[in-house]
Amino acid sequence: MSLWEYANPARFMATTARAVPVLGGAAALCLLVGLVWGFFFTPEDYRQGSTVKIIYLHVPAALMAINAWLMMLVASLVWLIRRHHVSALAAKAAAPVGVTMTLIALFTGAVWGQPMWGTWWAWDPRLTSFLILFLFYLGYMALWAAIDDPDTAADLTGVLCLVGSVFAVLSRYAVNFWNQGLHQGASLSLDAEENVADVFYYPLLVAIAGFVLLFVALVLLRTRTEIRLRRLHALRLRERAA
Amino acid sequence: MAGMKSLKKKRRIQVIAVAAVALALSTAMIGYAMRDGINYFRAPTQVMDEPPAPSETFRIGGLVEEGTLIRGEGTTVRFSVTDGGASVPVTYTGVLPDLFEEGQGMVGTGRYVNGTFEASEILAKHDETYMPKEVVDALKEQGVFQHAPGEAPAAPNG
Amino acid sequence: MIRLLLRDMALAVRAGGGFGLGLAFFLIVVVLVPFAVGPETAVLARIAPGVLWLGALLACLLSLDRIFALDWEDGSLDLLATAPLPLEGVVAAKAAAHWLTTGLPLTLAAPVLGVFLNLPAEGYGWLLLALAAGTPALSMIGAFGAALTVGLRRGGLLLSLLVLPLYVPTLIFGAEVSRRGAEGLALATPLAMLGGITAGTLALLPFAAAAALRVNLR
Repeated sequence: MSLWEYANPARFMATTARAVPVLGGAAALCLLVGLVWGFFFTPEDYRQGSTVKIIYLHVPAALMAINAWLMMLVASLVWLIRRHHVSALAAKAAAPVGVTMTLIALFTGAVWGQPMWGTWWAWDPRLTSFLILFLFYLGYMALWAAIDDPDTAADLTGVLCLVGSVFAVLSRYAVNFWNQGLHQGASLSLDAEENVADVFYYPLLVAIAGFVLLFVALVLLRTRTEIRLRRLHALRLRERAA
Repeated sequence: MAGMKSLKKKRRIQVIAVAAVALALSTAMIGYAMRDGINYFRAPTQVMDEPPAPSETFRIGGLVEEGTLIRGEGTTVRFSVTDGGASVPVTYTGVLPDLFEEGQGMVGTGRYVNGTFEASEILAKHDETYMPKEVVDALKEQGVFQHAPGEAPAAPNG
Repeated sequence: MIRLLLRDMALAVRAGGGFGLGLAFFLIVVVLVPFAVGPETAVLARIAPGVLWLGALLACLLSLDRIFALDWEDGSLDLLATAPLPLEGVVAAKAAAHWLTTGLPLTLAAPVLGVFLNLPAEGYGWLLLALAAGTPALSMIGAFGAALTVGLRRGGLLLSLLVLPLYVPTLIFGAEVSRRGAEGLALATPLAMLGGITAGTLALLPFAAAAALRVNLR
């Protein structure tokens, strides 16, 4: 059986109807465990005190903000090349979730930065890149909202997503050049144990798993809604024609 | 009609050729720019080597030198910023961020006047090390704990 | 292609084409800045390169929706799509016409307006060069945005929302070249980036814009 069979909306609906509750439950469990563990059962950082605990929200949200855009890019490519409607709708569904993650990352970053760096907001490359990413999300969603014909909207937003991705990478480099930053290096990498002590690292991993699951569950849920909306639209058209 | 079609083909090839040339040009220029990455901070060594004009506002980045932090009257502080090579005295009036301490990274915006960097803004630079307080205390007792050398904001041009 | 370029330029310059509007807007923005930040010469001189860049960028936005809108309304865009000239060429010609009637005049006007903002003497040449190298990218990105929104009734505001984030790299490097030029610093790197972005934009965006137009013409 090929993965492409899920591109059939009926099949997609049947499978996700079973998957969404499971994924949602797993997301809730992971988030509960990760956040409670992180907030109440980890020691304070040697220099940041309890403010360090913001990373349990900040890092996963920031990761998902970028991954959501990547997912949109892949889904747009699949739509443009193979014309699977589910793919286009999944890209549409991911945008509001991605923009929420971006906002969470920006907000928690500001709350962390105020006591630690001494400023709510600095025009640091990473912070600025996230702000630009936020603007890209807004433009993408606005274009979806503005076009009536669903296929035209899917095509045009797909093209915008491709071009936007190239410019997002360019902007990242430009912003780096423009102002070298205060933001620490990435907290997580494959050899992250060197930087983040295990006590902080494990709850963080659980919290990240929770955010990933939450993201997948939300995107599937929203895609289902979009498919239903599309069916409703088709039904109305048929009724009017009859 | 055949003439139209071949004309269309010809034009298409021309468009693609022009695009390919522009793309090659773009790659060459961006490649040139990337090779020569520029950094926005000045390290104390650079400031000492070529002192900027007193009118120029710039950023300095480095470690707060151990044993130089003096809190004066009011909220005025004096300290030196170093990159291991040179050391530049800094004065600043205002509230310092939590993470600001001796031996830690900082970034200041201001002017270099009469051998002193008069900062108008001080920001602390945080490294990506997260460790529990107790662990660090224990390490310090054993004399093992040291801040990573990479903590200073990277000096310009690597 | 040249014929199309000339036709578009003639349409833009003719009465009601909005040719002077962009320039007037640029003038007004620059004149308003001292009212907003105060008349202190040193402050104005410091922010002059950035203000001139921002003003030129905003003035450039004003006329973007006209790139395709008129041809879309009267159906000539359908004719152009079936002409021997590929749609990519049409897009490039239209972007070039937009640049010649908007970007180029703005570039030439910028040094004059620089006088109002006490731009240091050494900055004028670099400002001209930076704008000349950067504004073609603004026109081309704008043409892409216009191609995306051409079918929409009220596309103007959406066009700005789509295009402005794409302007970020050009603005950063362009303003950086101008600022460094004014302060007498080394500027080879940002200038190469600015040129590289413009060349890359000119190479790739006609294809994306033509794809968007094809979808809209379907």
